[in-house]
Amino acid sequence: MARDKIYSEEEFPTPLMQLWHNFKQPPVVIIGFGCFLFLIVLAVLANVITPYSSVENHLDHLLLPPAWSDEGDVSFLLGTDNLGRDMLSRLMHGTSLTFGLSIIVVIASLAIGVVIGSLSALTSGIKSSFLNHFLDVILSIPSLLLAIIIVAILGPGLENTLWAIIMVLIPQFIHITRNAVKEEFAKDYVLASRLDGASSIRILRYSIFPNIIEKLISQATLAQSAAILDIAALGFLGLGAPIPMPEWGAMLANGIDLFYIAPWTVYLPGLAILFSVIATNLVGEGMRHALKVRKEN
Amino acid sequence: MLIFTLRRFNLFVFTMLLLTILSFSLSFLFPGDQLVNLTGQVNASPEQLAILSDKYQQNTNIVSQYFSYLTHLFHGEMGYSMTSHLPIATEILNRLPATIELTSVALLVAMFVGIPMGFCAAIYHRKVPDNLILTFAMIGYSIPIFWLGILAILVFSIQLGWLPSAGQISLLFEIEYVTGLQLIDILLSDSEYKWQAFQDATRHLILPVIVVALAPATIFVRLARSAMLEVLDTHYIKAANAKGLTFSQIIYRHAMRNAIIKVIRDVGLQFANLITIAMVTEVIFSWPGIGRWLIESIYQRDYTAIQGGLIVLSSFIFIVHIVTDFVYAALNPLAREPQHGA
Repeated sequence: MARDKIYSEEEFPTPLMQLWHNFKQPPVVIIGFGCFLFLIVLAVLANVITPYSSVENHLDHLLLPPAWSDEGDVSFLLGTDNLGRDMLSRLMHGTSLTFGLSIIVVIASLAIGVVIGSLSALTSGIKSSFLNHFLDVILSIPSLLLAIIIVAILGPGLENTLWAIIMVLIPQFIHITRNAVKEEFAKDYVLASRLDGASSIRILRYSIFPNIIEKLISQATLAQSAAILDIAALGFLGLGAPIPMPEWGAMLANGIDLFYIAPWTVYLPGLAILFSVIATNLVGEGMRHALKVRKEN
Repeated sequence: MLIFTLRRFNLFVFTMLLLTILSFSLSFLFPGDQLVNLTGQVNASPEQLAILSDKYQQNTNIVSQYFSYLTHLFHGEMGYSMTSHLPIATEILNRLPATIELTSVALLVAMFVGIPMGFCAAIYHRKVPDNLILTFAMIGYSIPIFWLGILAILVFSIQLGWLPSAGQISLLFEIEYVTGLQLIDILLSDSEYKWQAFQDATRHLILPVIVVALAPATIFVRLARSAMLEVLDTHYIKAANAKGLTFSQIIYRHAMRNAIIKVIRDVGLQFANLITIAMVTEVIFSWPGIGRWLIESIYQRDYTAIQGGLIVLSSFIFIVHIVTDFVYAALNPLAREPQHGA
């Protein structure tokens, strides 16, 4: 009979494994995580599994209600909009726009923010205090106002909105990386490797990043729910994705004139946004809970 | 207290410096001619432009250009709107009060609903009320604000017909402009329909305020809950318990006061968030405030208006930050002078 453990070896899981262990405890978090994964799969496979294209018109099925109503047609499960476009396909394509792009936006600003933040944590004196105040100023300007200003500089359009949101999200990542790195630098294990002669970059890479990554991920989930809402809000205001694109906010803006005769064109995109933001927030909540549990032990 | 004030003042000056630099550099970044962006004189003749360029010291170096911009700002000259050709300062003064009214009422509603709910959740920690309140909070800050606004109009204005869906007051009432804050203006006016006007303005206010207040309220729930949990865990609560005080005595006399101080510290930080939400809500409810005006200026490429709006909105937020800092310091001796505490 095979024995897995010959020696009573003590295992030290990495911070990320510990996080996962604590993270998966509450069932509601796992449901949220499942929804999050579902949305990612949908965003990736949207082009393959949708029944119709997002701009295909079915002119003999205009404003068809969802299939469960009496006039509905089961081949258009969630009904059609005023140009006869299938709502289900549009919502699925929208997942890769609103939700998928929000992930890309967050990863981009996370990468830039972490680099600047850790570099600034290594500096001190007047440069660092200037940066700190500068960040405070940027962080206290409303995010939507900042995004609007950047869109005004670059001109409207989905791509420019994404740049704007990346820039809006960077300061919070700089802020959190900077504080977390400074906090870790004051600890004894960093001093130990410093005494061993490790350079600052090496300390950052091997000692500090593995220990602050969970803080960054938890900030990233917060940023992602903000990014989804901002992409959709700018799309809704007509500054982001143009109307024919199946971006959820733009779809909502498109349906607004019809919402008395065809309410499903308004409440379905809204529900989609709500669903994805709740899934993201549940993941983030689970992450923060897991961090707290780990701190208490 | 003096040092505290000086430090806050210092921060304020530095912040305003950065903000004005930001807004000055925007005039270069926006498409079009920098001088035109700065002054908003789209139809100026070459002679007028020459006079303007002299006034803004365009032929000197960039630093003195910036200082001449600052001098103009201090005199309240923010140029002219590119679309309406009115001075930006007048445009903003006409609209800012409506935004202040909406956001301050919403902030009060959010505090008076959110904080007690948060305390309630903390008192019933990990029981049914706590879970219910947390679920509500999760939905509340996940809901897209524009969708909520539209649903509110659909249900309460169109289907039920209880509340009006757009504007600040019915056009039937003529209210003299005194402070710009509609409710106060109505009370100050001597119209015989004062009471009806007041009722009408309140009815117009209800839906936008609920929409704006929902997300901040849920944040207050979470802040109040964690503050209360922290306080309930302290030694002085245990001491009060050991002395034999009843549970309600402990909550009302000791825990609540200490928990509320912690929440007040964060009220200022929520304000920027509140303004963002108010901007979108103003568009949906056609509220004649600064947010809707700003978003319309983007559609119309009115760059002077965007610059002015940025300066005014951000300084408004800073002033609120500083005021809450002072309120917090006044309430909590520990924050103003370290020697008061342990």
